Amino acid sequence: MQITVSLHGVFRIDRFKQKMLKYREDSSAQKIIDDLKIPVKLLGIILINGTHAKADDILHDGDTLMLLPLLEGG
Amino acid sequence: MKIQTTDPVAHPERIFYRRCTVDLKTGSIKIEDIPCRNLEDVLGGFGRSFQQLAEREIKTAYCAENPLIVNTGLLTGSSAMTGLRTYFSSYSPIKKSKQGMSAAMWSAGSGKFGAKFKWTGLDELIFENRSEKPVYVLIKETINGPEVELKSADHLLGLSTHKKIMTLHQAHNDAHFAAIGQAGENWQNVTMGSVALSTVNQLKSGDDKLRFAGRGGMGSMMGYKNILALVAQSEDKNLPISDAVKKVHTQVIKGGGAARLQPIKRGGGGGTWAAYDVMQPFNAVPINNYRPQGNDLPEELFRENVEKNYDIQSAACYRCGITCHNYISEKNADGSRGEFIAKFDYEPLNLLGTNIGIHEAGQAGRLIQLCDNYGMDAISLGVTVSYALSYNERHPENLLFNGANFGDYEKICELVILAGEGKLPDIGKGSKYLSELMGETDYAYHIKGLELAAYLPETNPGYCWAIAGGHMSMGSYGTLIREGISDVNSWVKVITEDKLHIVGFDMIGLCKFFDITQGIGTQMVVDCLKSEFDFEIKPEKIKDAVRRSFLLGLALELRQGYTKSEYCLPAEVVNNPNPHIKLPNITNKEFIAALDEKVWNVFDAELLKINLNKI
Repeated sequence: MQITVSLHGVFRIDRFKQKMLKYREDSSAQKIIDDLKIPVKLLGIILINGTHAKADDILHDGDTLMLLPLLEGG
Repeated sequence: MKIQTTDPVAHPERIFYRRCTVDLKTGSIKIEDIPCRNLEDVLGGFGRSFQQLAEREIKTAYCAENPLIVNTGLLTGSSAMTGLRTYFSSYSPIKKSKQGMSAAMWSAGSGKFGAKFKWTGLDELIFENRSEKPVYVLIKETINGPEVELKSADHLLGLSTHKKIMTLHQAHNDAHFAAIGQAGENWQNVTMGSVALSTVNQLKSGDDKLRFAGRGGMGSMMGYKNILALVAQSEDKNLPISDAVKKVHTQVIKGGGAARLQPIKRGGGGGTWAAYDVMQPFNAVPINNYRPQGNDLPEELFRENVEKNYDIQSAACYRCGITCHNYISEKNADGSRGEFIAKFDYEPLNLLGTNIGIHEAGQAGRLIQLCDNYGMDAISLGVTVSYALSYNERHPENLLFNGANFGDYEKICELVILAGEGKLPDIGKGSKYLSELMGETDYAYHIKGLELAAYLPETNPGYCWAIAGGHMSMGSYGTLIREGISDVNSWVKVITEDKLHIVGFDMIGLCKFFDITQGIGTQMVVDCLKSEFDFEIKPEKIKDAVRRSFLLGLALELRQGYTKSEYCLPAEVVNNPNPHIKLPNITNKEFIAALDEKVWNVFDAELLKINLNKI
């Protein structure tokens, strides 16, 4: 299946802004997070098709996965 | 502190804090050891000062009976990382109810002043009345204990915060400083004056690398009392760090709250500034007076874009491993670091940048620098300016002031300078004052008279119950963006249970980044208290004290004439929803009405138990 992966903030460093990636059916967001070596302690927000999601949520063909760093005050 | 017990909960009266009371009218100075009444007194900060403010019935900030209380927290000056906080408390000249009564307020700042103050042997300084002549206050450690002296400050009049501090630095060795700028000196026309606190970086480099207790006009209160600066002179008392505290420090640095603040080269997110990258995908970065337009303009202040033209340096407070902020400097032609411009933190950057239509980093930095040097609260100033710009956008036929529009850098600079010099009271007195003067209050982004932080109110109905600075006394500002929580019951829990605990940091002397997600009722804090003072205390008892202090703050607001209808978001948010924000709408009338009822149901039951006359 095809998943559009969109990265934000420091996750873009040495990776990409947005890319279409091919994955096996029933892959979870966690699989992509692991493959991209996104640091767990910095990962704050996971969105699937614009909706807040969990790492173990299953993706479907055509989904957009957004990964954002933590938001903790200013 | 004089400590004669290991149980601060059962025996607070066996713990004494050292208070100095200065009568500015008579010049009398009294130093005494005061037994603590409860755990709040032991912890310190606003937990203690609000009990003192509750004892006085003050209607208007600028009156002789309104004290200015300077204190620290129990862990200020300790070996615990971030233990640098100083607190300034008073009835506020800017935060007022619709009845016109001043609200009790505190403001906190880092820098090294707090630790030096604690090391003089004092825990608290209360200023009564006002001085006829401008003075600065020298607090020094001697072999006989702390001594306090009032000194003539004629030579400091008219100087910026930075120049006051550098002038005093020449005269006083081994000292750190708290100073107001020209804004605080012009307290009649500027109610948003801040207090600048010196840093090691500032004194070493000579650059204006200050920290601030900005919120609530505590600098204006200092100005009213005719105190231009405080000097804390003492030897450093850096005791060896115990293994227990070292372990806590490791947890702090690696913990969820601090991890993203670490510099990028250390695997972090690059400081508070990184909030831009997280909020922009939701169109939630405030722009043009909190009205995102669904465009990519905020991205011009993304780090990756700023670094092309400016030098960025990660920076930390004294003895802190979190490294939460950044300095922006000019970049020389050869790529080396040029002239220092300003400290780049999320709040001032947004509110004196994107939210007033300034998208060029150097210009935003220069506005921050101006604001810092005049000694104004960057949040109150930025939001009041953005109100004026919004007014001008809506009334091209009837422009305010110099006719400045969003993005009009030169004209905005002029407004900031005039406000800082006390020549533009309609800006200097804040957005509540200006919007009421103009008769258009719907798009004035304050709640209860205090300007909002740089998080859209559409993402944070919890702002309404913040008892001091909007995001630093109710930690709910990231809840919708971070977690997507959009049901009323969860928000009631967020406001009434989880996120009010952020105020605990403004009691104990630690910065919020110590553990922003959990507050101070934690094993980490317990371990620090055991190591530093041999206290035996349970996290739950600390949480109880924090909650009592928060509720006292709420009770004090109501006593100052606030009605529940004033606990509301700016009307524009509710009446004219912004279609560009890509988040669930949790600020519609139905949601707000339900939230209001349920939150007050919880708080009202507890407020009934507070008898302000018995404090």
